[in-house]
Amino acid sequence: MIHEEFEEAVPLYAVGALERTDRQAFEAHLLSGCPSCHAALKEYQAVAALLPYGLAPTPPPRGLKAKIMAARSPANPEAAKRSSQPSLEPGEWMNHLFPPLSSTRSFPSNAARFVLAFAGLLVVAGAGYVGWTLYLQAPAETERLQQLETALQRESAKMASLQREIKEKEAALAQLRQELERRDAEIGELRDTLIRREAELDDAQAQLAQLEKHGAAFRRVRAQQDEIAALLRMPTVKVVSLSGSDLAKGAGGLLLYDPDTKKAWLYAFNLPPLPGGKTYQLWAIEQKPVSAGTFTPDTGQKGRLLIKHLPDFSRINQFAVSLEPAGGRPQPTGAIYLSGRL
Amino acid sequence: MDTSSRHASSVIDPKLMAQVVKGDHQAFSQLYDQSSALLFTLALRILGNRDEAAELLQDIYLEIWRKVARYDVGRGTPMAWLVTLTRSRAIDRLRARASKTPPGVDSTEPSLDHLPDQSPNPFEIQADHELRNAVGKALAELPEAQRQALELAYYEGLSHTDIAARLNQPVGTIKTRIKLGMNKLRAALRGCSSQGEAR
Repeated sequence: MIHEEFEEAVPLYAVGALERTDRQAFEAHLLSGCPSCHAALKEYQAVAALLPYGLAPTPPPRGLKAKIMAARSPANPEAAKRSSQPSLEPGEWMNHLFPPLSSTRSFPSNAARFVLAFAGLLVVAGAGYVGWTLYLQAPAETERLQQLETALQRESAKMASLQREIKEKEAALAQLRQELERRDAEIGELRDTLIRREAELDDAQAQLAQLEKHGAAFRRVRAQQDEIAALLRMPTVKVVSLSGSDLAKGAGGLLLYDPDTKKAWLYAFNLPPLPGGKTYQLWAIEQKPVSAGTFTPDTGQKGRLLIKHLPDFSRINQFAVSLEPAGGRPQPTGAIYLSGRL
Repeated sequence: MDTSSRHASSVIDPKLMAQVVKGDHQAFSQLYDQSSALLFTLALRILGNRDEAAELLQDIYLEIWRKVARYDVGRGTPMAWLVTLTRSRAIDRLRARASKTPPGVDSTEPSLDHLPDQSPNPFEIQADHELRNAVGKALAELPEAQRQALELAYYEGLSHTDIAARLNQPVGTIKTRIKLGMNKLRAALRGCSSQGEAR
């Protein structure tokens, strides 16, 4: 049978109209746990259980109730035997509703009641023995009770002492906590101071770096001065005076050069400040100008330039300074600011 | 519980069944008062003999008292359970009797005379009275052939094959009549909430 056939069989099963084989198949289907068939069966069985309400009511015999009430006594096993016949309707699936009679269920039996009565006697006897023993031991128990009370008082005193100690420890702990908080505050201040000191140290380091930078510049100037001093000590050294052009009338310059070592040193002053992206360039001129180097005046509009090697120095007859783009040029492209002849 | 429903079979409280299981004599007495009239009527309808019906009732109530038959609240109302139990035991007796005596001796033709008497009945309580009216009306509205097939199955324990043979009708016709009849009853009695499950 398929599920639809089982569904069709539900009303027939509920009213008890299925054949045995169909009924068994349907019950097997129910045992498989089909929820829809279970639900439908519950409904149809409820309807079937209403059918007797359609009968004309007939009261049971008057003496039946008294007979049943009397027959409930276990001394009347006849009725129990009669009701032990197995039921075939509405099938095995309903058997949990009508399980077969079992003699073990007719409890309590006489034997069981005897056991219960005996157990009860044992309990009563045991309780009596305990009570008598306690009565005999009463004086000893009183003394023991006093000892216990004394011990309790001792323990209470100990407990009070312990509680005092605990309070003292708590007070000490509170002081320690306050101290700890104060130390924490101090540590916080120290940390702030340390941070300030670190910042000052950074500043100092920056200043030192600046000083070192200045020192390097100073050393460079000092080296140049040494070079100049050495140059001035040369007996063959020559001096060329440079004068400002119309663009720098207040400017001037001095060029020292030594033909033997081919070294030269330019000192220029009052040159106009350089525009952005420009530099001054020194030219050594024979037939045509040859670059001798570039220089930048300092804040006092003083320019210095040490030339360590000038080729063909003997044929040079003029020096000039022009304004050129930064980095200089192979040939002069800008205006002449200083010039001087040998 | 008020006096009007104290003896109504249709409003047996599941708690009453629990008290009976615990061995409460008063609860057992009340259960008998509430249910015995309907169960005796059912047993008498199936067995057709007052003594046998009384004997059957005695067996059933003793089974309940001795916890041989146990009510399970998940299977429906207490009365539905009692009705199913009584019908099952009565059909067993009927079959046992049929195997001992030649058939036809006391066979009962389906009767339409047992529809409820609408006159006041001293054993009937208001709650049951309303239910009887509803069930009686629902049965009366069934086509006769359907009601007959239902009664043969329910009260005489006949299978659809037996009914078909008895009425000289095809088996499929009988099955259809039973299914249609049950469906109509289910629809008609859907509102009978006092029985709890026919919804």
